[in-house]
Amino acid sequence: MALTITCPICGKRNGYEFRFGGEEKGPRPDEKDLTPEKWCDYVHMNKCVAGVQEEWWFHKDGCGSWFKIHRDTTTNLEKEVKDENKVQKAKSGGQK
Amino acid sequence: MFLKSKPMWGKKTKLKSSYDVVIIGGGLHSLATAYYLAKEHGITDIAIIEKNYIGFGGAGRNTAIVRANQRTQYNVPLYKEALDLWPVLTKDLDYNLMFNNCGNLNLMHSEAAMKAARMTIATAQFHGVESHLIDAKEAKELVPALNISEDITFPIHGAMFHPPGGVVRHDAVVWGLARGAAKKGVEIHQQTEALDIGTQNGRVTSVTTSRGTINTKQVLISAGGYSAALIYDMLGIKLPISVLTIQAMVTQPLKPVLDHVVSSGAYHCYANQTLKGEIATGAHMDPWPNYTTLNTAHYIKHQAEALSEFLPCLRGVRFMRIWGGLADMTPDMAPIMDGNEQVEGFFMDCGWGYFGFKSCSAVGKYMAEFMAKDQCPDMLKPFALNRYQEHKLMGETAALVNYSPDN
Repeated sequence: MALTITCPICGKRNGYEFRFGGEEKGPRPDEKDLTPEKWCDYVHMNKCVAGVQEEWWFHKDGCGSWFKIHRDTTTNLEKEVKDENKVQKAKSGGQK
Repeated sequence: MFLKSKPMWGKKTKLKSSYDVVIIGGGLHSLATAYYLAKEHGITDIAIIEKNYIGFGGAGRNTAIVRANQRTQYNVPLYKEALDLWPVLTKDLDYNLMFNNCGNLNLMHSEAAMKAARMTIATAQFHGVESHLIDAKEAKELVPALNISEDITFPIHGAMFHPPGGVVRHDAVVWGLARGAAKKGVEIHQQTEALDIGTQNGRVTSVTTSRGTINTKQVLISAGGYSAALIYDMLGIKLPISVLTIQAMVTQPLKPVLDHVVSSGAYHCYANQTLKGEIATGAHMDPWPNYTTLNTAHYIKHQAEALSEFLPCLRGVRFMRIWGGLADMTPDMAPIMDGNEQVEGFFMDCGWGYFGFKSCSAVGKYMAEFMAKDQCPDMLKPFALNRYQEHKLMGETAALVNYSPDN
């Protein structure tokens, strides 16, 4: 089954138009007192939830926005969770 | 299926309240580890806990290809030993694993790819693994079905030829190892779900299952694609893993046409002919993490296009079956094997991506040694989890320019 993703600007589109941008991990850690452990946790580590998770997507073949959705990883279906889809203005390309 | 019939590996046993070792997951890495624990270290009080049935996951879904032409000095010796073990295991287990030593042909479609192949071949030869660089004409002589003309999307420049590789019947490995382990006293409990791992003062004390709690001092999680979620759920340990659905398919049976495993990175496609005559081919990985194991029309179309370009004799051939499994990918395309580090008595063997099958024989042997002696064998030391913190990522993938879940 294919995936569809709702872009906050373009609406519901084919999942292959997007690039997955990783699990939501909160803000980038402060460089002051940054330990290798904290940095590694932010850069590499995942929870690999089998269920609903909050995650980032990039509309690479569309409007270029970065945004968050909730998706069930066991069904590939988006989940409505309030306060979602706050558009983050895409910064310079490829950054997340 | 589970209640009436007698399992093929021996007697059905009752789950006890305590074992020396509990292994979560009934796949090949678990079965091989249990087999070697019993065979080489005399540890036989082992329970394998499997939620579905043995071989339900990657063990029965992979495309059965084995090879030892990986890229780094840490990986090549491990895969070489795994490759060398197939004939040995066939004898030891007294079970025909149907090792078809047909050789692998890895197609290269640019001068840059040929250059990368030269380095990989040098690594293989340094470690005593047979691997050669051949040109397009020689590739055509080996596999006459290949299209070496220049008017396809990715013309073939040459290939990396690795004669010792081939195909092993993956189900036979599951059955052979299950029977071999059970004969030595290992208990296999299907339809039993592991729910939690109990710890006290930083040590493993028990495993809670859907059929009651088991006291134990050593636990191994080697549950393939499900490992990362289980490890986070039970112990709160996060791993640098992304779990993706990977798909494969077979065509209708044909007369013999392909007597090598042929693969192409540029076409993102590999194919071999099974003993039954089908062309088994894969593999598309979803570029986003999911546990669905569902198939996509996108992939069927991609595969038909790729195969009809570089193996044009397959044009018009029908696909008969398609399936999906899980690949747990790490950023450096190398696995994570660790133990006694995060929690005393807890071992993990995961992050194999799509290399779990070809490594299972050797990894079972070394994980067993690790657990029996409580000391990490030199072979497994480079695969510890803390390599990510130390920025010692392995070079199995050339460079992480675009950090994506499917690399």
